[in-house]
Amino acid sequence: MDNAMEKLNRCFALVFPKLNPSEYATANAQRISAWDSIAHLTLLTLIGEEFGRDVDFEEFEGATSYQALAQALQPQEAFTGSQIKA
Amino acid sequence: MRLAEALQIVGEVAEDRNLSVPLLCGSTPVHLETFVKAHLALRFPGVGIDVGTGLYGDLEGNLQRAGEDGGDGGIAVIEWSDLDQRLGFRASAGWRLETLDDIVAQVEEKCRRVETRLIELAKKMPLAVAAPSLGLPPMMYLPPWQTSQCESRLNVILAEFLQRIGEHGGIKLVSSARLATTSPSNSRHDVKMDLTAGFPYTLTHANALAEAGVQCLYPSPPKRGVITDLDQTLWRGVLGDAGVDGVSWSLDGGSQAHALYQQVLSSLADSGVLVAIASKNDPELVEAALQRSDILLHPSQAFPIEASWGVKSEAVGRILEAWNIGPDSVVFVDDSPMELAEVSEKYPGIECLRFPSADPSAIVALLWQLRARFGKNEVLEEDRLRLNSIRAAGAPELENATEASADFLARLQAKVTIEPSGTDQRAFELVNKTNQFNLNGVRYTEAEWKSLGRRPGAFLATVSYEDRFGPLGRIAVLGGYREGDVCCVDIWVMSCRAFSRQIEYQSMRQLFEKTGASEIRFRFKPTDRNGPLQKFFALFLDSGWSGQGELRLRSEDFQRLCPSLFHEVCDKWTMPWKS
Repeated sequence: MDNAMEKLNRCFALVFPKLNPSEYATANAQRISAWDSIAHLTLLTLIGEEFGRDVDFEEFEGATSYQALAQALQPQEAFTGSQIKA
Repeated sequence: MRLAEALQIVGEVAEDRNLSVPLLCGSTPVHLETFVKAHLALRFPGVGIDVGTGLYGDLEGNLQRAGEDGGDGGIAVIEWSDLDQRLGFRASAGWRLETLDDIVAQVEEKCRRVETRLIELAKKMPLAVAAPSLGLPPMMYLPPWQTSQCESRLNVILAEFLQRIGEHGGIKLVSSARLATTSPSNSRHDVKMDLTAGFPYTLTHANALAEAGVQCLYPSPPKRGVITDLDQTLWRGVLGDAGVDGVSWSLDGGSQAHALYQQVLSSLADSGVLVAIASKNDPELVEAALQRSDILLHPSQAFPIEASWGVKSEAVGRILEAWNIGPDSVVFVDDSPMELAEVSEKYPGIECLRFPSADPSAIVALLWQLRARFGKNEVLEEDRLRLNSIRAAGAPELENATEASADFLARLQAKVTIEPSGTDQRAFELVNKTNQFNLNGVRYTEAEWKSLGRRPGAFLATVSYEDRFGPLGRIAVLGGYREGDVCCVDIWVMSCRAFSRQIEYQSMRQLFEKTGASEIRFRFKPTDRNGPLQKFFALFLDSGWSGQGELRLRSEDFQRLCPSLFHEVCDKWTMPWKS
């Protein structure tokens, strides 16, 4: 697993501690009740901290799934295609 | 602390809620709540923690609701926008010239209302209050490097508000000056987050603010004694080489930082901290140097003074013995890394701090460290008496009291005063810092302590002692409750300074007399440190006692085994159900 994927997984583990890591790839706000607006804000802030970049909330506003977050981070981070599609 | 670390800590907090701390603010709490919970978890390991939050934009209402919901202690974080929305960045009501006077008037009125709410809430739980930590918005017409009248008036209103609430016993103010050292003012405001989500703080500032609030509300228990070296520490120079007049602590001598250190030690001694000296030196030279008229730590403020050529840890050991306190309550300051290592190896519990004699800035940082280790909310009469009583205990006559004869104890002219206690600061402090003679080692938060008196049939008393060697002040606390005809004691502590005077017997005798109980049940729990109390109980209990759980002592057994007591008892204690 590459470094970017590890970081994103770590963010998910901290914000959604009850979520099984095997479910990360299919996780989205509709499916996970704990993924509310506060959790989304925390997740984006944590991603900013973990990836050392300034996360634009507007840019990530619609990124309410693991896949979408990975896609949004892709231009700057080294995710591989197979990992994003999971 | 990073957000990831805070979330990790929060994720490991026990789920049962033993400590409830409302976070009282008018902004969206998000990360501030996480950091507060994480710092509480670090302060109280293993304790379940609940940090309650309120509604956005309603500081006043949140204060009121916290009073209704209850809690163990609250952290209030106030910003200018809580005092008038126009002072925040999310309002668009305008900063026209004619509105400035109205803003000032609104802030003044709002401060009064928040003050009322805070004082009401402080009657129910201790509070830490953080003053606005974000600056005012660009609302003044003056150039930014000039303070406007409006800004001055707002600052005066705020300062007076803080002074008024700070005078209230249950409210502690977070130090803005201290906060500035951990969070510079120009890196506090996250404008984008403020505008997007109503959370105005950068992560670093949220962490600093949370840490300050938790430290202010629940400061770590203060250390009790400091042992200092002399050469290149209390003064500049080596006494043996430079002679009594050759060592210095002055501006002229280029050694003012040592004068600052002496002043802090003197101030600590005044506030009841035990100060001792451990120095590899000629004792006669040391005595002469400490007699210099310009010394700022008066020799009477330090005891014992251990000056010899022996091993430093042995001197420290003798000091600990004289103080009769554990190494983990003590800080040792020396300029020599070797001496620090040697003492640390012998006494791992002692906090060893190096005196950075060549670096005045580092010395000042050390002084702040000492203030942090020994900070306390108030200085009590007992603090003033502590050193004298320890000195007196070192007198050969009293030193033998451990194995004292009845004749010796009778000649002490001892007087014991037992009086009902409110849930006052001294009793609270004693219960939370006493280890050796402590019934069960239970520590209380301020809110828990205040609630003890509300238990049905509750009683709480302090015991004071004096003899011909002088007063010890209030040295013991006894507390419990009556359940039917049974007296249950779940609080009993006595300062180690009061050992060997049979005060524990007298306390128990008074307890039987005052409660009229035929049996007392002690909620006892053995700890690593309460050996002296275990030894005392063992005198009364048959060999079947396992040393665990509730201890029952019948009046007839106590009377049979209690030695003759010679105290004059000043009786001010009436049980609440008899008054």
